[in-house]
Amino acid sequence: MKKITLLLFVICCAAGFINAQTYKTRDGNIFFNPNKDQSKKDYASNSKEATAVLKAETSEVALLVPMKTFHFNNALLEEHFNDNYLHSDKFPNATYKGKLNGFNKDMLTKDGVYNISSDGQITLHGVTKNFSAPVKLEVKGKTAVFNCVFKIKAEEYNIDIPGLVKPKLADETPLVANISFPLN
Amino acid sequence: MKKIVSFLLIACSLFLTASAQDDLLGGLIQEDASKVKQNFTTATFKSTRIINMQSIEMTGKGNLQFMISHHFPNFWNEGKGWQNLAQMFGFNSGVATTYLSFDYSFLDWMNVGFAMTGNSRYETWGKFRLMRQQTGKRNIPVTIDYFALASVDASDGPSPDDLTWNRFSYVHQLLIGRKFSDKISLQLIPSLIHYNHVPYGIKNTNNIFNIGLGGRYKLSHKTALTFEYSRQLNGYKNLLDEGASAVNYVADLVSIGYDWDTGGHIFQFYLTSTTSSLNATQLSANQNNFAKGNFSLGFTINRSYGIKKVVQSH
Repeated sequence: MKKITLLLFVICCAAGFINAQTYKTRDGNIFFNPNKDQSKKDYASNSKEATAVLKAETSEVALLVPMKTFHFNNALLEEHFNDNYLHSDKFPNATYKGKLNGFNKDMLTKDGVYNISSDGQITLHGVTKNFSAPVKLEVKGKTAVFNCVFKIKAEEYNIDIPGLVKPKLADETPLVANISFPLN
Repeated sequence: MKKIVSFLLIACSLFLTASAQDDLLGGLIQEDASKVKQNFTTATFKSTRIINMQSIEMTGKGNLQFMISHHFPNFWNEGKGWQNLAQMFGFNSGVATTYLSFDYSFLDWMNVGFAMTGNSRYETWGKFRLMRQQTGKRNIPVTIDYFALASVDASDGPSPDDLTWNRFSYVHQLLIGRKFSDKISLQLIPSLIHYNHVPYGIKNTNNIFNIGLGGRYKLSHKTALTFEYSRQLNGYKNLLDEGASAVNYVADLVSIGYDWDTGGHIFQFYLTSTTSSLNATQLSANQNNFAKGNFSLGFTINRSYGIKKVVQSH
């Protein structure tokens, strides 16, 4: 009887451990530059506090970034970003929930650069949209870096840009997500 | 024995569910929500000034702000009739007091500035945030700044032999502000104005106290109405000027304004019962009586530049 108990316990723990193969990071980097002229960086912003999880078994990913962690060179822009455009008190986070296509967990055990893709849903400013983009995965030693460059349209997320500023901004805002997971 | 087995099983299944986290995003949202956050109140006022007075707002850290402001002569001069219209209510009279300033914030809580205020006068100031309105772990209902300004008169005055020291005056203010709601903010401003030198006169005094109240009501994301009222507490009656003739000042200063934030600049238009652009003069030697309709038009334009780069692509 004792042996059975022990065995059950071990099985349960092992199952739990396998199932718990999720990787997590709290310092994901999201950068965007809405300038029409991409060599200019005056409206650019980034957050270094995105949290993300990756479940290797099922290739599921999720990401959350609090809007107030986006910082700008000009403090006034940051205030406008939160108060006037993204309404950060009402919609405090932007999220992503999706799947990695062409990914398998063995990639994480071997150094290399893999071209995969992801699709899912982005929620920003209270609006949820389908999303699909190529992703570059770079595994090196104990880290796996997911790099994704994609574009979004502000008006699709009900973000109003005043007429005075509009001519200076690109129709589609390019974003770069650089999420690095520690592997262990 | 059976009890132990079932206990272990329950424990294991709990462990399983806890680590499985079927809903990855749900887990992240939960984690984010459970964090104790410190919410600092921002944007209590649009600009670093309410109208004439400093607001609790400070130029952002690493940002340089350039400000230009004009105070025009009286809106309406009694007895001048249609000439008032010809001068577009002071706007086109050809005389205006200009105020040009630069200020920079080295730290989140410290701002320093330099201004040219017209008539060979210069000002320099420091603004220090003592406490910040916030909720969360710590609850503080108001933001308090200490504002200290030194002003020097470099003009060819009536007595050029005057000691340089005599040409200095100072303003000390506590700015106590609270954002009551998204739209309404109020600020209390006790001030002390010190003149190193005042003309001889029994009622003349080096130290003048003043208490002021300012506020804003936000009309939209880009526009707001503002007001200011301040009252001088001493040193305005039966004074003597340099020529030993009697002067009386007006103790009240009343202003109403309109803020317009274009996204790049902040414009402030106002009607105020002073034609001076100097805080010290406005608060301690105001000659315009609002009760007689002595208001004047003025405007301020602000522009700030991010000097220190905080954004990195990677």
